[in-house]
Amino acid sequence: MRTFLAIAVCKLGHALGKLIGKGSSMPGKFALKICPDILRRLELPQHIIAVTGSNGKTSTVEMIAAILRADGKTVVYNEEGSNQIEGVATLVLTRATLGGKVKADVLLIESDERYAARTFQFFHPTEFVVTNLYRDQLTRNGHPEWVYDSILPALHAETELILNADDPLSSCFAQGQHKVKWFGLDRCSISTDSPTGVYHDGAYCPVCHAPMEYGYVHYNHIGAYRCTKCGHKKPSTDYTVTAVDLEGATVTIDGEQTVSLAFRSIYNIYNILASYAACRECGVSGETAAAVLGNYLLKNGRMQTFHLGAHHGTLLTSKHENSIAYDTNLRYIAAWEQECVVLVIVDAVSRKYFTSETSWLWDIDFDQLNVPHVKRIVLAGRYCNDLAERFSYTDLENWSVVPDIAAAASELKNNGGEELFVITCFSDRDKLLSRVEKEA
Amino acid sequence: MDVRIIHFYPDLMSLYGSRANVLALKRYLQHLDCDVTVESVTPGGGVDISRGDFFYMGAGTERGARAAMADLVRFGEPLKAAALDCAAMLFAGTAMDLLGKTVRETDGSSYEGLGLASFTTTHGKQRIVGDVYGHTDLYPEAVVGFMNKCGTVSGVETPLLTELSLGFGNEKERGPEGFHWKNVFASQLTGPLLVKNPKLLETVAAAIYARRGKPLPVDRPVDRWAEKAYAVTQEQLRLRSQHK
Repeated sequence: MRTFLAIAVCKLGHALGKLIGKGSSMPGKFALKICPDILRRLELPQHIIAVTGSNGKTSTVEMIAAILRADGKTVVYNEEGSNQIEGVATLVLTRATLGGKVKADVLLIESDERYAARTFQFFHPTEFVVTNLYRDQLTRNGHPEWVYDSILPALHAETELILNADDPLSSCFAQGQHKVKWFGLDRCSISTDSPTGVYHDGAYCPVCHAPMEYGYVHYNHIGAYRCTKCGHKKPSTDYTVTAVDLEGATVTIDGEQTVSLAFRSIYNIYNILASYAACRECGVSGETAAAVLGNYLLKNGRMQTFHLGAHHGTLLTSKHENSIAYDTNLRYIAAWEQECVVLVIVDAVSRKYFTSETSWLWDIDFDQLNVPHVKRIVLAGRYCNDLAERFSYTDLENWSVVPDIAAAASELKNNGGEELFVITCFSDRDKLLSRVEKEA
Repeated sequence: MDVRIIHFYPDLMSLYGSRANVLALKRYLQHLDCDVTVESVTPGGGVDISRGDFFYMGAGTERGARAAMADLVRFGEPLKAAALDCAAMLFAGTAMDLLGKTVRETDGSSYEGLGLASFTTTHGKQRIVGDVYGHTDLYPEAVVGFMNKCGTVSGVETPLLTELSLGFGNEKERGPEGFHWKNVFASQLTGPLLVKNPKLLETVAAAIYARRGKPLPVDRPVDRWAEKAYAVTQEQLRLRSQHK
């Protein structure tokens, strides 16, 4: 009876929420109040895929859903992005019959890394993808090892883990687990010999703290690591990007599937590979997965093109408080071969909570912009002075400060016609996008 | 004046932009015409403590701090002697824990710190995070920063921040924070606290000069971006503290 009531209340709450445009977690919250273990009482689909990690969750989940649907499978997933237990409860219960059966082939869940253990206390995924673990929103996450310890209880012995072989920390989840599939990149055209960035989280082994060595690196400390003492090293991979051609915008998976890249970013390559691996584990053919992934344009709006005066612009959404997200987008700009200007905005550090914390700026390698084609850099927003202080410790000299975002947009609109790259976060991007002509 | 900065474990203890404290101090001293050398210490690597003017360790993970302590123990006696001799030091974030007697971890195990101070740290399962706004007895301006820790520190008799109006101190909400004795500065405020607090940077520089028997030059550098950034954050946190 309680199951029926919880599902009915959730469905009703969701319908009402839609009418008044309210959030996606409240109906699930009510349902969990009525029946705290409601998620245990459901008849769930055969495949339950969970995706967590510091970066790439939303993109990976979106691509997995697209592939599975192209393969004819019915997929239920949290497109609204509410990724804690209440949001998951709303998702599952609104798609369940009143008898508690979730009619779908696959339940796909983007899970907040800190709350995964809470979400999966009542049921466990059949496949669990961990994209990576590194410095992200440390104001709420503490640090990567803290997040690692939070996720650990969420991993069930019967769950197949799909792990990033190139990440020295999240690869440790394989310890004591029998069912593990690995994805990773071979040494390829974008590899470097040693870690990049201004801090080095791969310097010491996450298992024994002895120094680590690298055969090659794809970005920051993600690559072929090897501990000099305990043997923790990049494992051999089950799903592998065997070649990257950034100029031709293609990657080759397992030496046989060629995927065209809509966005030439190393992040995108890892997200594509993680999606590919997860779908193959659900029985999708490599051909089908590769065909969907080819030139796949993400719908989550993290890249937006626009016009501002004579500038063609590209917004590269870079989560504040996530230095690797910034680093990756700076790398993208550095690889751009035409003249460009860059606008960096830090106005509200977070859209969800108050903080004046800007220490994460010191983890970003802004010197990547020290290339001839970056003509100038404009720093804007409430924390523009913190940005300026950070820039004063780089070798860059072609930067200026315009605190007011509207004034910065206006100044750019009236000057120059180069490509304009805007680096900022979800919390701040609309402050710029409301002043430009967006492309479809 | 030649100044030698000893930076302990820059890779291992590098969370929250900790390295910026060394960059800021180095540049400040260079603007005062000091000839500054920064010497990094890695686990197992050597360093002559007696030649150091300033000793620094930044924040690391709890496991990283324990690994750091396993190595730092080699320098325990010389570091204590240097502190007694008024050498300037800053231990920030989890590095502060290592100055005390013991660190008790969440799994119940514990390890010894340097014993330079008599406090003890106890780690818990809750993360204590949040902006901090407080005052020190060292100067009148407010201290701003961010707390990111999982432990409480008990037994500090001489805190660095004597009063907090926002944030968690050593043992409790709005309680005293950090540790200060002679020229030893320690705080669990994470990250670039010398960048965020230009006055604290000046105070640490003055401590280095004082040990050499010199006052800080009257003509001192002003970092306009750091000053402006401080003003914005100070105002934001002051308002926040009033509404809490």
